[in-house]
Formats: sequence, structure tokens, C-alpha cells
Amino acid sequence: MPRKKIKQIGKLEKADLTSKNETKEQSSDLASILDEIKAQKGVIGYILRADTSAAVDMKDPSKIIDYAILSSSALESAEKISTAFKLGKIDSIVVECSDLKALLVAVGDHRVSVFMEKTMDHKSIYNELM
Amino acid sequence: MNEQVYSVAFKSALTEIRRICPDINESFILMDNGNMVTLEEQNIGPNIMRALRSLQNLTENAESTCGLDDLLIDGEDGEVYVSRVNGMFFITALTKKADVTHLRTITKIVLPTLVKVLDSVSLETAPPPAPLDQPPLFQTTRLESTPAIVPELIVEEENIEETAAIEKIEEAPTQDFQEIYEAKTEEEMEPEDFQQESDLPCQQLIVDMFGGFLVRLDTVQIDSDILDRWSSKLDLKKISEVDVVTFDGKVARCKVKVIRDKKLEARGIIRIPEKLCDKLKLKKGELVKVKPVLPESE
Repeated sequence: MPRKKIKQIGKLEKADLTSKNETKEQSSDLASILDEIKAQKGVIGYILRADTSAAVDMKDPSKIIDYAILSSSALESAEKISTAFKLGKIDSIVVECSDLKALLVAVGDHRVSVFMEKTMDHKSIYNELM
Repeated sequence: MNEQVYSVAFKSALTEIRRICPDINESFILMDNGNMVTLEEQNIGPNIMRALRSLQNLTENAESTCGLDDLLIDGEDGEVYVSRVNGMFFITALTKKADVTHLRTITKIVLPTLVKVLDSVSLETAPPPAPLDQPPLFQTTRLESTPAIVPELIVEEENIEETAAIEKIEEAPTQDFQEIYEAKTEEEMEPEDFQQESDLPCQQLIVDMFGGFLVRLDTVQIDSDILDRWSSKLDLKKISEVDVVTFDGKVARCKVKVIRDKKLEARGIIRIPEKLCDKLKLKKGELVKVKPVLPESE
């Protein structure tokens, strides 16, 4: 009997480790995709948020907080608008300002905000992320 | 020209736009005076009011980057397109198959033209806009035309929920060391604050935590160079308070002192008490935006 218990615990730990590894792999894949996106002309930078962490990469670091606030308030606003108009699960959010554009998408457990110049095609960025 | 004429004109515009784009489920125009124009059959529920308030919050936050023009939310069961035209919001709920580009083109042509025509007609017919019969459904706050009211009073009277949230935070400090803690959310900050903010210098700093038995919860530490620079720029003898803005938009108003530890000087850091970091959900090494607070008398 005790042996069985040990085996079960072992299995659980293994499963937990596998899911953690998958999350890590997903995260590193996403980070590399975002790095490629960031290298494109017209892309200003990105914010990658997970439940407990966030990665920010901006060409102009002095604006990081402004972009982060814009991104979080856009997410909050979109959630409330989605509830009000019964849109269901949000697929993507596009915020357009006078000279920049932000694409916000959920990729797995991560929320990605890509900031770009207004003239850029956000659909191609979306396709690269999804 | 009477505001009701504008309202009637916008209502007809909404009807016409709906005819051109049959994929529109619902559409509203939120005018710059806070009035809402809708098609007759539509009801404005509390959820929509909440959504509009959050939209207003987003607009205010977007001012620091470059101002909100358009917002498109693509959901599983439909889309919402928000367009800002001449200070008004045109909000449309669409089906999934709707052609947003087409709608955008129409909106950006029809509404500005309509506003221009109405404005020119109202200039010709001299009487100023008559007061509204009913109070506006949704009051927008405009940066340019804010009355000179003390912000705290508005918070106390109008925003009971938010006040409760502050009280919760204020309860936390222990009384033993007479710790005082003030926190303001972005939502609480009145338009006046935002107007002043644009003139205030601000600095991004890296969070460094510190703790201790006699550490005051309400006091942060910053380089003397930064404080000197701010005080000379603002023509003040001393900066005694700062607003710490976190990554998530949380704002904490704290007293400020100079970093005494010479090893930590000129490193672009802000030393924040551990307890305050916990409340603001900040970690060591994260970035925050720090702004000086002008004394009330000045």
C-alpha cells in the first residue's frame, strides 16, 4: 500500500512538472516571436503579461509606464464593454491613438500588448502571434 | 441652436448609418457635453453605463500617450467599434461579419460633416444653446472646462465606492508608529489633477524595497538630485510629497525624503517601504513613475 501512494505522488509531481515545462516553453516561444515582431520597422515595443510577471521591451523606455497604463486600462475597458454588449470571450483589442496603435491579445495564459506606429498593419502582427 | 436639434440630427445620422451598415446591432453617440444619443428602441442599462465610464477612463489615460482615436474590440460573438469624432464618441456594437473598414469610412465622413453643418447653422442662428430639459445620462469630464472644486470633496460626495476602497487601504497601517498612508487611484483623480499633471515633471525610477521596525509606511526615498531638479523647476523650496504611479495604474501619494545611503545615490532608484510595496503589488526592480505633488496653497 505505501508503495502505491508513493507512485501516485510521483505521477502527480511529474504531471505538474510537465505542465510547468510546457508553460515555460510557451513563454519562451512567445518571447522569441515578440522579439522578431519588435525588430520589424514601425513596431515600438511590447508588454508581455502573465499572472505573476510582466516583460516589457520598448524602443523608448521613458514611455514604458504610459504604455503600460494605456494597455491595462484598455483591457479593463474592453472587458466592461464586452460584458455590456455580450461579446463573449475577447479575441483581440485594437486601440488607435493619433500617432500610434496598440494590439492587445491573449495568447494562452499570457496577455500581449504590441505597440506600433499607426500606419502599420496590426492584422499581420496578430497573425504572427496566433 | 438648441441642443435638442443636435440630438435629433445625430439620431437621424445613426438611423442612416444603420441602414448603410445593416450589421450594426446597437449604436450610440456620446456627445462632448455628456449627453447620449441613441436610437429609440435601445435601452441604456447599468452595464453600458459602466462600460462608458471605463471608456472615459481609457480616454484620459490615452491622453498621456497621444489621445484615443479608435477602439475595436473583437469578441467571440461580435465586435464593438468606438470612434472619437470631434470630441464625441460614436459607439457601435456589430455582428462578427461586419465590415469595420466600411463603417469607419462612413463614420469619419458623415459625423464630422454633420457637426460642421450644425455648427455653421448654429452660428447663423444666433441664440446660444438652451439648457437641457433633462440632466445628461453620462457626464463626461473635460480637461479644458473643469470647475474649480476641491478634488477631495468630489470624491467624498460622489464616489462612495472609491472612498470605501481608500478607507480599506488606510485602515491597514498600525497605529503604533502613527503611520499615515494615502492612496489615490487614477479614477479618483479629478480632471484638475490631470491638467496639472501635464505640467509636472516626472521620472521613471526602479523600485528598491526597504523595511525595518520604525519605518514609516507613507514615506519614500529619492535621490536628492531629482528632488533638487524638481524644486528648481517648480520654483519650490522643497518637495515634500510625491505620487508613485505603478505599472497597473495604481497611484500612491507619499511623503518623500532624500536617500541617505551613499551607495544607493544616483542609481535611479526609489526606496519604498516593504508594506507599501505589498499594497501596491510592487516588486524590487520594477519601474514606477514618480511625480512631485504641488502644495495645496500654490
